[in-house]
Amino acid sequence: MDPLVLGGLVAVITIAVLFSGVSVATGLLIVSALFLAVFDGLWALELMPEKFFGKLNSFALLSIPMFIIMGAAISSTRAGADLYEALERWLTRVPGGLVMSNLGACALFSAMSGSSPATCAAIGKMGIPEMRKRGYPETVASGSIAAGGTLGILIPPSVTMIVYGIATETSIGRLFLAGVLPGLMLVSLFMAWSVWSTWRNTGLSVMSGRRYSLREKLEILPRVLPFLLVILGVLYAMYGGLATPSETAAVGALMCLLMAVIIYRMWSPKSLWLVLRDSTRESVMILFIIGAAGVFSYMLSSLFITQSIALWISDLDVNRWVLMGAINVFLLIAGFFLPPVAVILMAAPILLPIILAADFDPYWFAVILTINMEIGLISPPVGLNLYVINSIAPDIKLKTILKGSLPYVACMVLAILILCIFPGIATWLPDMVMGPVR
Amino acid sequence: MASTSPDAPWRRGADALIRGIGWISTFCGWAAASMILASVLITCQMIFVRFVLRQSTVWQTETVVYLMIAATMLGLPYVQMMRGHVNVDLLPIWLRPLPRKLLAVVVLVAGIVVLSIMGYYAFEHWHITFQRGWRSPSVWGPQLWIPYLALPLGFALFILQLLADLLALLSGRDKPFGLEAD
Amino acid sequence: SAEAQQLRLSHQWSTADVRHQVAQMIADELDEADVGLSMRIFPSASLFSATEQYLPLSRGQLDMTVYPLSYAGGQRPEFNLTLMPGLVRNHDHGARLNNSPFMEALEDLMAEDDVMVLVHGYLAGGFASKGDCITRPEHMEGRTVRAAGRAFEQMLAAAGASIASMASSEVYNAMQTGVLDAVNTSSSSFVSFRLYEQVDCYTPAADVALWFMYQPLLMNKSTFEGLSAEQQEVLLAAAEKAETWYLEQAKHDDVRSVEVYRDNGIEIAEMTEEDFAAWRELAMESAYASFVDQVPNGQELLDLALAVE
Ligand code: NA
Ligand code: NA
Repeated sequence: MDPLVLGGLVAVITIAVLFSGVSVATGLLIVSALFLAVFDGLWALELMPEKFFGKLNSFALLSIPMFIIMGAAISSTRAGADLYEALERWLTRVPGGLVMSNLGACALFSAMSGSSPATCAAIGKMGIPEMRKRGYPETVASGSIAAGGTLGILIPPSVTMIVYGIATETSIGRLFLAGVLPGLMLVSLFMAWSVWSTWRNTGLSVMSGRRYSLREKLEILPRVLPFLLVILGVLYAMYGGLATPSETAAVGALMCLLMAVIIYRMWSPKSLWLVLRDSTRESVMILFIIGAAGVFSYMLSSLFITQSIALWISDLDVNRWVLMGAINVFLLIAGFFLPPVAVILMAAPILLPIILAADFDPYWFAVILTINMEIGLISPPVGLNLYVINSIAPDIKLKTILKGSLPYVACMVLAILILCIFPGIATWLPDMVMGPVR
Repeated sequence: MASTSPDAPWRRGADALIRGIGWISTFCGWAAASMILASVLITCQMIFVRFVLRQSTVWQTETVVYLMIAATMLGLPYVQMMRGHVNVDLLPIWLRPLPRKLLAVVVLVAGIVVLSIMGYYAFEHWHITFQRGWRSPSVWGPQLWIPYLALPLGFALFILQLLADLLALLSGRDKPFGLEAD
Repeated sequence: SAEAQQLRLSHQWSTADVRHQVAQMIADELDEADVGLSMRIFPSASLFSATEQYLPLSRGQLDMTVYPLSYAGGQRPEFNLTLMPGLVRNHDHGARLNNSPFMEALEDLMAEDDVMVLVHGYLAGGFASKGDCITRPEHMEGRTVRAAGRAFEQMLAAAGASIASMASSEVYNAMQTGVLDAVNTSSSSFVSFRLYEQVDCYTPAADVALWFMYQPLLMNKSTFEGLSAEQQEVLLAAAEKAETWYLEQAKHDDVRSVEVYRDNGIEIAEMTEEDFAAWRELAMESAYASFVDQVPNGQELLDLALAVE
C-alpha cells in the first residue's frame, strides 16, 4: 500500500480509537500493534516493549517529574495566596489593578508550577470572588483566570517545552528562554483586553480598589521572597555552570520541597505524601504517553509514513506561510481534543522535518506550537481550564466562562500573528544569552 | 442493587479481590513516588559531587534513568486505579447507557490484550538479558536485567488492575468511564 | 527477479555524514545492478536509536546497520576492544587490523549473534578543551570531561580527570556553561556539535591518535545467506568499493575538522610519539587491565590485537 494512503488510514483509525474513551497512551499502543502486525508482520510486535523502554531510557526525561514536583510543592502551599495578595496590594491604585494583579499572579504562579489547572485553582479561588465582589464582569473574571492559567506551558519551566525538546532534539535551555518574551507579550495582551473590556462594560468605577498603606505594602514583600529565591536558584543552576538543564530540574524540585517544608511549615508526612502522590500521578501519566508515543512513531517510521508525508509536503511546493497556516490549523484542532504532550509527541517527528525544510526556526516554532496548545486548554470540548473554573466558581455558567475566554483566544491568535511578523520576539533572548542558534 | 442479594458469596469474593488488587496498586504507587523522590536526591548529590567536590560521577545518571523507568512502570497500576490516565471521552458521553457500558468493556479488553502482548515480549526480553548476563556498556556497567525487570512486572501489575476494573464494571460497582448515567 | 526484496538499514547520523554516504553508495550500486534487491536507509536514528540496533539486527528484524561495535560491549564484552585508547595508532594501522586474526576472532563472535561485517572501518577523534591544550595525561588533572567510551573514561579517570556522563545532546550546553572543561569524541562529532564555538584548544587525530572507534557496516548473516548468489556478489563488490572510500573519507574527516577549528581561530595542539606512549602506558594500567580482568579470554584477544604491526 502507498505509504501516504496508509498514513491516512492510520490517522483515521487513531482518531477513532482515541475518541472511544481509551486512555491516550493505551490507544496509541493499540493502533501501533494493529498496524505493525498487519503491515510489518506479527514478529514486529516483539519490538514494542524494546521501543517503549528505549524511549523512556533518556536522562532528559528526568526533568518532567522534577518540574512537576516543583509545581505540586508550590501549589500545596500558601505561596499562591501570598503572591496574589502582594500583587493586589501594590497594583490596587492602578486602573484595572485587580484584574492585572490576577493576571500577573497567574503568570508568575504558572511560570513556577507549570501546571494550568493548578494555577487556575490557586489564583482563581481568591481572584474570581474578589473580582466579582468589586463588580468586574463575570466574563472577565472567569476568562482572565482561565487564560492566565495557560501561560504555565509557555513561561519556563514548561513540561510542554521539555517534551518538545526531547522529541526534536533541540536545546531545552534555549526553548525555555524562547518562551519568556512571548509569555510576557501574552500577559500584556490579556491585561489590555481585560481592562478595556471592563471599562466598556462597567466604566472606570469598579477599577479602583481599597487603599493600602505603605507599611501594608512592605510587610507583604518577604512572603514573596521564597518565590524569588527559587527562581534565582534555578536560573543560577541552569545558566551558571552548575548543572545541565535536565539536572537543574532536580535542584528546583528539591528547593521547592524544602521551601514548602521549612518556610510554609509543611512538615507532616501526610502533606508531603500528597505532593509526591500528585506528582507521581501526573508524571506517570505523561511518561506512559511518551513511551507509547515512542512505539507509535516507530510504527510510522517503519511503515515509511513519516518520511513519505515529509517528502510529499516538501514536493507540494506551497508558500511557506500557507504551510505554516495549515500546520497551525492542524495543531489547533489536535489541541482541541488532546493534551499538549500527546499532540507534540505524535506531531513532532512529522512536522519538524517540514518546518526545517521550509526554513522556519525550530525554537520559534516551539513557541507557536505552545500557544496553539494553550488555546486548546481554554476551548471546548476538553479545555481543561474551563472545567477547573467551573468547579471553583460553580455559580458562573459554563457558557459565560466560555464566552469570557473567547476574547483571550483571540489574543493568542493575535500573538501568533505578531510572532509570525516579528519572530525575534521568540529568538532574541535565547540568542542574547546563549549565542546564535547552532 | 437492592433487588439482588448483596451478600452473595461471589459478590463478597469479588469485593475482596478488587480491594486486594487496589492495595497492591496503592503499594506500587508508594514505590513509584519513593523512586521519584530518590532520583531528585541522587541528581542533587551528583551535582554536588561534580561541582563542589570535583569528582567523577559514574553511576548517578544511569541510576536515575532506571529509577524513572521503574517509577513509570510501577506507577501504571496506581494511576489506573486513580483514573489518572488521560483520555478523550467524547463518544462515551454521547452514547446511551447500554452501548456506553459495552464500549467500556471493549476498551478495557482491548487494553488488556495489547498490554499482555507488551508484557509477554517484555518478559522474553528480560529473560534473554538475565540468561546472557548483559550489562550496560558504561564504566559502571550494571546488570541490565535489573532495570529491564520493571517492564514485565509493571505491565503485569497494570493488567491486574485493569482486570479489577473490568470486574468492577461488570458487577456494577463502577460506572462506565466514571460517567454519571444521565 | 519477480519481486524486488528491500533491505532496511538503520543508523544514527545525518545524511551529510560519511557513514550515511557509505550506506548510500551500496544502495546506489544495488539499484544500478538491478538484481531485484534494494536498500532503504533510515538515517538519524529514525527507526532505532543508536544503541538499540544490535539486538534487532541479530534477530533479523533489521537487515543492516552502520554501528559502533563497542555499543554492544555490554552484550559481548570482547567488543570493548574496538574502542581502546592507543590500540590503533593511525588509519593505516586500523586498516591492517581489519584484515588480521584479531578481526577474525571478533567476526566469529558476531557470527554467533548471526551478524556479519560488510564494510570495515575505523573513525578517529581527539580532545577539545577550554583553557590549556590536552596532549599528555598530566593535562587532565582536575578537569571535568565527557569521554566517548568506557575504556576512555577509565583511562581519563586514572589521569586524574573527573568524568561526567551525559547525553551527547547536552555536551554543547555543558561546555558553554562550564559544567564541562573538556570533551573527547570523534572528528566528525567535533564539527557537527559545533564545539569550536566553545573551546580554546583542539587536539585532533594526526600522525598518531588515541581515539579510534570501529564503526563497520553490519548485516544480518541469515538474511545475507538467503540472497541469491548474484545478489550476494553485487553486494560484496559494492561493499569492497565502499570500504576503500570509507578509509579515504575517514582520513579526510580528521583533516576537515582541523580546518574548521583553525578557521574559527581555535588553537590546534599536536600529540607527539612520546605523548602517545605516555597515554598508552596509563591505558595499560587502567583500561586494558580492567578489560583483561573482566573478559575470560581477554588477554588472548588483546595479544592478537597488539600483534598487528
Ligand atoms: Na511554567
Ligand atoms: Na483541549
